[in-house]
Amino acid sequence: MMDSVKPLVLGLLFGWALHKAGLTHYARIVNVYRFRDLTVLRFMLTALAIGAVAVQAGIDLSATARVPIPVTSVVANVVGGVIFGIGMATAGYCPGTIAAEAGEGRLDAWVGGFSGLIVGAITFGLLQPLIMPRLAQLGRFGRVTFAEITTANPWIVLIIFSEIVALVLVLSARVGMQATPAQAKADSATRQGVAPSSEPADARAT
Amino acid sequence: MLRRAEPLRFVSAIGWQIAALVFAQPALAQCTSNASSCITCHDTQGLRPVLQSAQPWHVDHGFGDLCASCHAGEPSAAVQALAHVGLRDPLADPSTTCASCHEHDFAARAERYAMAAALPKPPTNTGAQATSTSRPNAGSPANRWLAGLAASLGAALFFVLRRELGRSPKRRLGAWLRAKIWNPYLAGALLGLVVAFSEVVYGQPLAAAGAFDKLAAYPGRWLFPGSQYYKHLMSPGISWQVWLVVGLFAGSFASSKLAGEARLRWLPDEQWQPRFGPSRAGRLTVAFLGALLVQVGAGIAGGCTSGLAISGGVVLAPAAFLFMAGMFAGGIPTAWLWHRGRSKP
Repeated sequence: MMDSVKPLVLGLLFGWALHKAGLTHYARIVNVYRFRDLTVLRFMLTALAIGAVAVQAGIDLSATARVPIPVTSVVANVVGGVIFGIGMATAGYCPGTIAAEAGEGRLDAWVGGFSGLIVGAITFGLLQPLIMPRLAQLGRFGRVTFAEITTANPWIVLIIFSEIVALVLVLSARVGMQATPAQAKADSATRQGVAPSSEPADARAT
Repeated sequence: MLRRAEPLRFVSAIGWQIAALVFAQPALAQCTSNASSCITCHDTQGLRPVLQSAQPWHVDHGFGDLCASCHAGEPSAAVQALAHVGLRDPLADPSTTCASCHEHDFAARAERYAMAAALPKPPTNTGAQATSTSRPNAGSPANRWLAGLAASLGAALFFVLRRELGRSPKRRLGAWLRAKIWNPYLAGALLGLVVAFSEVVYGQPLAAAGAFDKLAAYPGRWLFPGSQYYKHLMSPGISWQVWLVVGLFAGSFASSKLAGEARLRWLPDEQWQPRFGPSRAGRLTVAFLGALLVQVGAGIAGGCTSGLAISGGVVLAPAAFLFMAGMFAGGIPTAWLWHRGRSKP
């Protein structure tokens, strides 16, 4: 019983952040790959930089923290990423945003998205014994971080990483790309603190 | 008469619910599954996960339900005391353990594992959070010094970037909660803190794709009873990730409801119709195929945008950045193909 409360609360905040970042829109997701909209990139990079600092601070402050490290397996990570990117640029979804879009009332996510995920999961289940035992061994480093590979102090890796993120964010702010006129208007309204109701009625307004 | 019976009915309904909760617990604890009880208790229920651990022998043999070949014990027993009867050290006598499958080269294989076992182990951890990392220099003075440096650099960066980040408008809390969209830096900061909290406090990645693997195992196991994957690796269940996705759904609903954006619709609001027309069937087909590819890709890579790119990115694991590189390598040409020849909106 209690074990469901913690992930529910975390998921609630996660979904809130996804919606407030505008990731429930087909156009925003697809335009990441067309270099027309950097909102998602800014959102992701900020989350990465702040999350990375917070995780490292948490590890140092807590004596018992054990954070999950994903398996680095170069070929599997990249091949999986390519297939994932093709699917994401096609439907404008990733698994998390399908749930977020369903929460927003999008029936294409309810009907097409969820069934696609379930069928995709079963497809992977059938492929897994055929491909993964071999594929996962190619370029396998196991559960490692950059700090462990380079044997550097994690804070040094972290500082370098966050400086790169900051640089990319500054450059992206200079370029200032927006997806569509309606979204640009919504974004600038947010930036200038105009109440959202003053937005002109477009396709997205209720 | 009916009115007098009402409180009684209420009490009995409550009583039944309490009884259901009380008696549901032992049923859950019993390890009944078509996988061995080893995998059910250790990994599916997460009592002490080993398949996802860093130990090379568990990773190498994670494709099957092979625990008993090395560890012995009683894999059909549902109670720990019985299941752990006769456990043995797998490396004590490789000619009986490793040799049962690798009859010709068991000695060499055992030697490799013996070397790995001789390395200093990461400290055994508390409870369910067994996916662990060694923490070099944790808490040392150098770390504190560097953390201070990072903090001051961060503060300096904030002042330099303040203009780029945009003025944060003075707004009442209500208007802020009802906003259709936040400054992406603010929303990103929220996500970053949520990921960090989940990882440091609960040892769980913020992963969405895993939930659908768990849910798909219900029909998958039924449709393909002979599948090695569903027999040994993926058992159905309402796991942490499933609840996370339920919360994710609710969070998006709450945010969009407050913003006045929650309403039923079949098509994306922008950019879809001008290109692909108003057909619902067309959108559903593309949504289905895209979601299918996304889930297969997440399975191969070991996670999705949230579970690998963000959750792995915040611990600075190479896997996350390789995955992101793959995402762009696949996504850029695909997006170009779908929207080519169309002038900028």
